[in-house]
Amino acid sequence: MGELQGLGAALSEAERIGVEIIAISPDPNERSQKLAQGLRLAYRFVSDRDLAVTRRYGLLHAGAGPNGEDVPRPATVVLDRDGVVRWFSVTRNYQVRPDPDDVLRAVRAL
Amino acid sequence: MTSGRLAGLGVLVAIGAITAYASLLRVALVRNHPEGYVIAFALATALAALAVVRPRARRWPAWLALGFTSLLLVGGAWFNFVIARVPDGPTALRVGERPPDFTLPDAAGRPVSLADYRGQKPVVLVFYRGYW
Repeated sequence: MGELQGLGAALSEAERIGVEIIAISPDPNERSQKLAQGLRLAYRFVSDRDLAVTRRYGLLHAGAGPNGEDVPRPATVVLDRDGVVRWFSVTRNYQVRPDPDDVLRAVRAL
Repeated sequence: MTSGRLAGLGVLVAIGAITAYASLLRVALVRNHPEGYVIAFALATALAALAVVRPRARRWPAWLALGFTSLLLVGGAWFNFVIARVPDGPTALRVGERPPDFTLPDAAGRPVSLADYRGQKPVVLVFYRGYW
């Protein structure tokens, strides 16, 4: 969830300029809701319980969770108004996330 | 510098690195260079090693510092370069193309479809590992 906190400040500007931010994780809905309220973010938190969407995107990291469960490879994707990918970043080290300024630059360039 | 001071400095560098990394996690420059704490642990270990080989030194504080700092170095390097590594691999994402559509429930249980935003507004998708 650190990545969401990190993105929060910069992306609040993205929200202001009318970009929808959809945060996808295998977390159950109740937990996502708590997280959303805790961080006071206007993200749409959606739950990919069985990781079917994560797998379809090629973002599954098998067996890497704390209890050996599958988890997503952290990734950020910027889509334009037509739903076309304009920029994306998939991390190689889960401590490392895209610089919020880079995401914002991609959003502003739309 | 005396052995005691070198040992103290080594421990201080190691603890300082942990404190700085933990408290500056929100700063992208810090968060995105986790190898920084590994380098700091290596520096701390080198200082403690110097303290051990100093002539006429009281040995046990230096050895204690060396044990502490080298443990952090091995643990930190193991975490950063092995545990936290995410494998590379092909994704369904191509710049200039539409990614796969999906419909998933939001926090209130309402379905959210990516297709619904098409022609409406830009979208940022953030895949993350979860609350933990």
